[in-house]
Amino acid sequence: MVVYNFKKIRVVPPGKDFVDIILSKTQRKTPTVVHPQYNIHRIRKFYMRKVKFTQTTIHERMSAILEDFPRLEDIHPFYSDLLNVLYDKDHYKLALGQLNTARNLVDALGRDYVRLLKYGDSLFRCKQLKRAALGRMATILKGNSSSLLYLEQVRQHLSRLPNIDPSTRTIILTGFPNVGKSSFMNKVTRAEVDVQPYPFTTKSLFVGHTDYKCLKWQVIDSPGILDHPLEDRNTIEMQSITALAHLRSCVLFLVDVSEHCGYSIKQQVDLFHNIKPLFSGKPILLVLTKIDLVRFEELTQEKKDLLQSVADEVHDMMGLSNITQEGVANVKQAACDKLLEHRVEIKMNKTGKSVEGILSRIHLAQPEKRDHRQRATFIPQSVTDRRNDVMDQAEDGAPSAPKRKTVKEIEDENGGAGVYQHDMKKDYLLKNPDWKYDVIPEIFDGRNIADFIDPEIEKLLDELEKEEEVRLEEPEVNYADDEIYIEEEDEDVYEKIMSKKSIYKQKQQLNRRANNHTILPRKNRPVDLDAIQKELMDRGVDKETLDRVRSRSMTRDASVTTGRGRSLSTTGRSKSTSFERARSVSQQRVVEEREANPVSAKSVLGKRKRSLSTRNRSQSATDKLSGLVDAKQQVAAIKLGHKKQRLLALAAKRGEADRKIPNEMPKHLFSGKRSIGKTDRR
Amino acid sequence: MPQNEHIEQHQRRHGHKPDHWEVQRKKEARVHKNRSKMAQKLFGLKAKLYNKKRYTEKVQMKKTMKMHEQKNTEEKNDDAIPGGAVPVYLLDREGMSRAKILSNTIKQKRKEKAGKWAVPVPKVKALTEDQMFTIVRSGKRKKKVWKRMINKVSFVGENFTRKPPKYERFIRPMALRFKKAHVTHPELKATFQLPIIGVKKNPQSHMYTTLGVITKGSVIEVNVSDLGLVTPTGKVVWGKYAQVTNNPELDGCINAVLLV
Repeated sequence: MVVYNFKKIRVVPPGKDFVDIILSKTQRKTPTVVHPQYNIHRIRKFYMRKVKFTQTTIHERMSAILEDFPRLEDIHPFYSDLLNVLYDKDHYKLALGQLNTARNLVDALGRDYVRLLKYGDSLFRCKQLKRAALGRMATILKGNSSSLLYLEQVRQHLSRLPNIDPSTRTIILTGFPNVGKSSFMNKVTRAEVDVQPYPFTTKSLFVGHTDYKCLKWQVIDSPGILDHPLEDRNTIEMQSITALAHLRSCVLFLVDVSEHCGYSIKQQVDLFHNIKPLFSGKPILLVLTKIDLVRFEELTQEKKDLLQSVADEVHDMMGLSNITQEGVANVKQAACDKLLEHRVEIKMNKTGKSVEGILSRIHLAQPEKRDHRQRATFIPQSVTDRRNDVMDQAEDGAPSAPKRKTVKEIEDENGGAGVYQHDMKKDYLLKNPDWKYDVIPEIFDGRNIADFIDPEIEKLLDELEKEEEVRLEEPEVNYADDEIYIEEEDEDVYEKIMSKKSIYKQKQQLNRRANNHTILPRKNRPVDLDAIQKELMDRGVDKETLDRVRSRSMTRDASVTTGRGRSLSTTGRSKSTSFERARSVSQQRVVEEREANPVSAKSVLGKRKRSLSTRNRSQSATDKLSGLVDAKQQVAAIKLGHKKQRLLALAAKRGEADRKIPNEMPKHLFSGKRSIGKTDRR
Repeated sequence: MPQNEHIEQHQRRHGHKPDHWEVQRKKEARVHKNRSKMAQKLFGLKAKLYNKKRYTEKVQMKKTMKMHEQKNTEEKNDDAIPGGAVPVYLLDREGMSRAKILSNTIKQKRKEKAGKWAVPVPKVKALTEDQMFTIVRSGKRKKKVWKRMINKVSFVGENFTRKPPKYERFIRPMALRFKKAHVTHPELKATFQLPIIGVKKNPQSHMYTTLGVITKGSVIEVNVSDLGLVTPTGKVVWGKYAQVTNNPELDGCINAVLLV
């Protein structure tokens, strides 16, 4: 289904703006720098590109305009006629035609100038040619400014046209001006059409939507039409004529029986007969409006006859009053029903054979029976009573059972919110209805009654008290004394431990305060042999055992050292280190010496530390070299290792995996003036 | 009012904000500030366009203002002073006229005339050969240089037959061949696009005349049968000379003035 939406048409710039848009686009999107010393081909290409670009841009813009505007032949006849009425078909086509011609002219021009540019032999000549080409294109555009202006106006108006779907269920309101078409529209739909007490308030078609039988109905409010020949009709009237002529719809012909609109019933009936050809093949409804002023029965016989003659033709006459709302719903329903019936009929006739096809689509599903039990709908007695009441009421026109008033209504009756206050206690459900209005005190017998809200509170209290009593009867246990139980002989040790602990603690605290640096993990910390020895001795290990253990470890060390004596010397980087190493081997002895001579201990400390670290390294080196056959190979391997590491070391990398870039853009290299020197040499 | 003009609808229903007109007035009073701000902010092409626009607007404004002023200025007119005895109360009055406007308009017209209809080009700048031709190299080794391609616009008659291309000395490219010229009739003050019949004279050289090269100042013969000109004897004129007033190779078109 075609959807008629004219809101998507793009803006049509006026002639001068068009030129500006095109030229500035050319300026923006094509290169701008060219020099006479360039190769002539390059110069030619440069200017050809400009000309070609301008031409294509214009072509595209023009094509967009031509495409966007609807072609009158292609759209629904209702719309094409409406456009003809509103904008004049000839003018419309002429404007579009002129744009088309202009587009072709620009294309031809572009082609010609590109050809001329091929023979340009200097920058000057090329430039002049380009200038001439763009100038002529701009002239063509300016020549079309009037049609562009017209099209822009048409576009703006088109986009504001109501969205009328010519194929859907439509109800059209028609009649003389001021008979109440718009009022009816406002009653039936939410269109909010302007209603004024003078004729021709509605100057164009208005559309609104309403619901009936779960279907959407389009209601079209048309401007009033006068009774004169088609040639004399103005644009406003022609719009409603167009709608009447082309939309398959139900027509509501509104007649003002009170003649307050300024036209007699006779005139209105004449109008009906005049425009009757427009109603052929459509369901029509004669609607008498403003019946709150004059009822049909109150009319003179003459007028009655006139109306009756029309009613006989359309088989239907209804009255309505927009003020009292009388008959509004009825008219709507009647119109909708009539149209629906009509449409179904048309469909049946049109499809002919395939009626069954349509009918078979309508299938009412029934659940299969489970058993023979009757399962009737259950409606409570109260509901049926109520319903019956309502029915009675509708029949009698007088309420039999008064409707229950809502609290809101009562409030409104008694002066609205703020003045009237609803009695909240009225509907309390209590054992004795007399208690409803009893005042509940906050304090009763010296107690807060809120404390006694819980009905079982007494019971709970009892339980609690009982539990307390049971607890009180149990024997007392002193947990505090029971915690640490030390025998007397261990008391000495215990005290020692505690004092030691506190010393350690204080030491630790002092240390932490004194050297405020990062804490090394234990395994990386230098081993202080003195401290270890002292500690062990304090703990009660006697000196002999200690010496024995140390000598054993020393011999092991020595054996290791002698075993790799050669390799150690090769790994050495300088004589001094080898010397250190020699000392490292004998470090245990150093420790002993230091013990003997505590003054020299301090001076040795630094060296010792270094020696320790070297020892660690040498050991790890032996691990690395462990798989190699002889010294020669080891030397080679070490050399290779060094070579490998040199580049990494140069780049200050930790290893191959170190991809860190510490500072991507060093500020000192990327900021400030650059008058002298280069970016990286300043 | 159509259904979808929501702004108008709203205004009609609810009116404007209480300070609407005040705001509007202030906005209007601020216009010149915004304009100057804009003028200071813009640069490049946009600035050029903007300034051009403003300039023309200003010129126009000044002109109209001057016109209005002229309407109001009264000039002394000695001729209009009433002669003879004049009552005292009329003594100070002197003849006034508003003739200035008239003289101005006449001046304007004269200027236009002078500007528009100068004589056709009396003098032309000489063109050298290398401006006229480009050398086309030929031969298997491209070492023969006797061929020339004409660089300028030319006219080639309908019945022109080429020599065999190999022996063609002067090549007139298709792109540079023109058949029509925009000819202005100096008396009718109108321009027509007329077909060219031939090149009568090219002031640069006789050779160019024979080749049909059209440069500025060339005299061409155009077909004026559409104009319906008639000789004193009553015959319809169909061919007339016209002088080219522009550089066709630079403009991509031939403009000429009919020699009457």
